[in-house]
Amino acid sequence: MLRQRKLVTLLVVLVLLLGAVASAQDDGLKLTGWPYEVDVVTENLGRFTDQSGHGAVFLPFPSNEYRDKMVASFVAGTEFDVAYVRDSYLAEWASAGWIVPISGLEGADELLADLPAGIIEQMSYDGEVYGLPYYSGVQTMAYNAAHLEAAGVDGPPETWDQMLEQAQMIKDAGVVEYPILMQLRSGENYLLREWETLTASRGGRLFDEDFNPLFHLEGSAAWEALDWLTEGLDAGLIDPASITDDDGTLLMAAGTTSFMTTTDYTLKAMNDPEQSNVAGDIKNALVPGTDEVRSGTWGYVRLYAITNGAEDKDAAWQLVQFLGGKDATGEYYVPKRWALEFGLGFSPAPLYEDEDVRNSLSGWIDPDLLSEQSEYAISRPYRFVPFFSDWEIGSWGPLQAAILGDADKGDVLNELAEEWNELKEDWGY
Amino acid sequence: MQIRRETQQKEMSQGMMALLFSAPAVLIIAATILVPFLIAVFLSLHNWNLKRPGRERFIGLENYTDWLTDSDFWEPLQTTFTFAIGAVVLIVVVSLLISLLLNEKFPGRGVLRALLLVPWAIPSVVNALLWKWLLNPQYGLVNAIAFEIGIITEYQNVLGSMPSVMIWLVIAYSWIHIPLATLLLLSGLQTIPSDIYESAIVDGAGVRQRFLFITLPMLRPMLSIVIIFEMIFALKVFDIIFVLTAGGPADATNVLGWTIYTETFRKLDFGAGSSIAMLLGGITLALAILFYVFLDKGVER
Amino acid sequence: MKQRARIRLIVIYISAAIVLLGTVGPFLWLVSSSFQYERQLLNRPPQWLPNPIVLDSYREIFEGAVLGEASGVPYQSRIFLRSFANSFFVAGSVAAIAVLTGAYAAYPLARLDFRGRSTLLFGILASRLIPALSLAIPIVLVAKQIGMSDKIISLVFINLSFILPYVIWLLQSYFKSIPMELEDAGRIDGCSRLQVVHKIILPLSLPGLTSAGILAFLLTWGEFLFALLLSESPASYTSTVVVSLFATDVDVSFVSIITAGVISVIPPIAFALIFQRFIISGLLSGSLKG
Repeated sequence: MLRQRKLVTLLVVLVLLLGAVASAQDDGLKLTGWPYEVDVVTENLGRFTDQSGHGAVFLPFPSNEYRDKMVASFVAGTEFDVAYVRDSYLAEWASAGWIVPISGLEGADELLADLPAGIIEQMSYDGEVYGLPYYSGVQTMAYNAAHLEAAGVDGPPETWDQMLEQAQMIKDAGVVEYPILMQLRSGENYLLREWETLTASRGGRLFDEDFNPLFHLEGSAAWEALDWLTEGLDAGLIDPASITDDDGTLLMAAGTTSFMTTTDYTLKAMNDPEQSNVAGDIKNALVPGTDEVRSGTWGYVRLYAITNGAEDKDAAWQLVQFLGGKDATGEYYVPKRWALEFGLGFSPAPLYEDEDVRNSLSGWIDPDLLSEQSEYAISRPYRFVPFFSDWEIGSWGPLQAAILGDADKGDVLNELAEEWNELKEDWGY
Repeated sequence: MQIRRETQQKEMSQGMMALLFSAPAVLIIAATILVPFLIAVFLSLHNWNLKRPGRERFIGLENYTDWLTDSDFWEPLQTTFTFAIGAVVLIVVVSLLISLLLNEKFPGRGVLRALLLVPWAIPSVVNALLWKWLLNPQYGLVNAIAFEIGIITEYQNVLGSMPSVMIWLVIAYSWIHIPLATLLLLSGLQTIPSDIYESAIVDGAGVRQRFLFITLPMLRPMLSIVIIFEMIFALKVFDIIFVLTAGGPADATNVLGWTIYTETFRKLDFGAGSSIAMLLGGITLALAILFYVFLDKGVER
Repeated sequence: MKQRARIRLIVIYISAAIVLLGTVGPFLWLVSSSFQYERQLLNRPPQWLPNPIVLDSYREIFEGAVLGEASGVPYQSRIFLRSFANSFFVAGSVAAIAVLTGAYAAYPLARLDFRGRSTLLFGILASRLIPALSLAIPIVLVAKQIGMSDKIISLVFINLSFILPYVIWLLQSYFKSIPMELEDAGRIDGCSRLQVVHKIILPLSLPGLTSAGILAFLLTWGEFLFALLLSESPASYTSTVVVSLFATDVDVSFVSIITAGVISVIPPIAFALIFQRFIISGLLSGSLKG
């Protein structure tokens, strides 16, 4: 018994000691986010400290699990003062009260005045703005110019029907087996977004401005979009892997895909000789449309927001202004740096005029086409209601079944509309 | 005999002794799990959606009855069972074979045993990447190998449809879990005294007879533990689903673990998430007791 | 007889080769990939062997660990090897404490006759039946409330509580296989229960204890969920968290992840290699004869 008691005592002492050693440290403001270019962020924070006198550290977490990590952190009472937020879960974090609005804070109006309305909308929930942009951009189309040339196709398709025709030529010429990749996987980064692109570029919307479903109406653009997917899949022109693939960038870089819609910055990796087997062949084009509609797309934004854990709200707001807006010299220092050195998309209007920024993009993407693309971005207010993700999660399975022809499209769409309406009523929207 | 009585007098009752012996371990488990578990039970009895602060309220068993009357529970449950049965059978059969091999004496056995643990030692994020790459329909290795050997004439998207997606999920999952099962079975095999085999050989028993009448019965306690452990693991499967299919295609791989994740971390509905987790826990416990009674108790009698 | 022995060895080696191919084969692809350029991972047919051999990702990880910020390599590569210290501490402590406390807990379950034995056995197992995902947030909440978040020691406790049930079940089953006669002999010689455990049960259970230790070490080494949820700063990242940091939202350095994965495998395998020599057969049969 004695030996055992000794052991237990030893353990208890060990635990207490270790607990005491790991003491809390105070580094000033804590910024968290995903670990993109950590050293650059830290450098920027150094500049912030020099200018403002507030200490600041960057404590990143893995990108794929960042959202889950932060949910746990918020529930327990977060340590972090400022956090990166993706527009896809802004409504969730705002409705839970985890991030606090910046509208009305000193200097906010001036910075917001430089931003396009679409960007502000995507940083808003319930009439309040929750942050300033880190990077932003639009969904556009990427295509492999060499594949088109090999199949004798003149230029990128302007309509979705042309895309199928060109894909048939590419397939017939034996260039690749499945020329089109659509991102139809379950997950908030895939299926619904692709459906929105396909719908917007047919001049349609999934929901109207009062959050009423439009997708289930006979002959709606959304319905046509699903029909087009089924047609492409059945004809062997759309890659069957579309249903499960989670990284189309790799398939483009492998040179086994000719067309996909994609986030603008992914073209950089597709054209990077280290990462891509077809570097230089990948070009951007407008998302195709129809005979009547030239194009359509949607924008995304990643933003900096102040958390409910920030004790010194003023300091946190200063940091957000520095990161997403102007530094003490009145320059858009951080956004410009991301754009210039890393090609991340930006939102403040003054940067569009900046020659340096324009030149740095043209290495891997056509900036004129990209800025034309952003003109076709639609507004998606329905994404900024708190129940959107509840509905979205339940939509993946049925939509996939409808696309694959395992379920009747009309039934699926009507059911999804019904579910949406129930949620809408339940939440009082 | 006299000595024995003396020692017994000095000692406490067996129950007291059991309590003392198991106290450190039980305390560690309880200190860490008990309060969180009670919180989860508490949440499961409430309407508790983080996106609606201020509207939390006690609703008794309503979350449970909601799930039990919802196909969103029964369909994933069925998928979970399909997956678990496939995985447990594959893991137990393969690891039994491997452990029998490793129980033989031959030069290089030690290295082989350690290398066998490799799949288990790969960090889960890398494992995910590995399987994504192995199964990719364009540049995947499984496709490439099958194509080179001539099993297939064109590359397949094995994750795109049933039943191949389920089969490959089971394979990927089992690949990671076989080392654990093998390790346990091997340590079970070590407890079988070699003289039993020796006398059996003298009696003229063949390989199959020795396996059926010595190895299998003597391995039964450990085998039942492996089956119970693997069943518990498999019913909770989440990681590999999250990475490879995210419940798709068309909900074909939507298991309860995935539902628990989406309810809790995505919909932030802690009431619904906790109650479905409790249901899964209850089902698992019932199965574990059932298995134990059938597999392990049988030996003692 | 010699002929038969040779055939036996041939059969064994052929089976061993198949087993090795199945278990280690995919890992070898990871090793091969870690020496390639990222674009080569996309080749069709696959690039089986590295050509040329690219050492960049290894160089970054080792240079980063030694030189720190002066090396100029990305943050993730710099902190990767340093996070091994945390992983070692957690996995090592868990393995040691789990085997120690687990063995004592397993003994009465295997050998003593007391009321509530089955309840205890299943009570211990029941603590593992609720998916970790739904205990995760309550655990993080409690840890935060009692000031234990962002501390490595919390990870030790959480991993212990997850692994102990398995260790206890494993060991009680192992103890049961030890012939009762041996214990009775010890009791007649005047040993107390504790002495019986120390002098007879534990030494004879070395293979079982070793398996349990390896199990505990490996499961803890690879634990990711709580390592992520309880850490709030790089000081408490374990290696699994750092491996995941190579995915950055904008890009993913696949070769770096793979390289980090290959290196991560080395410590647990070395641990197993060192300790698995104790998984030796014949301990029991020998003692019975003697």
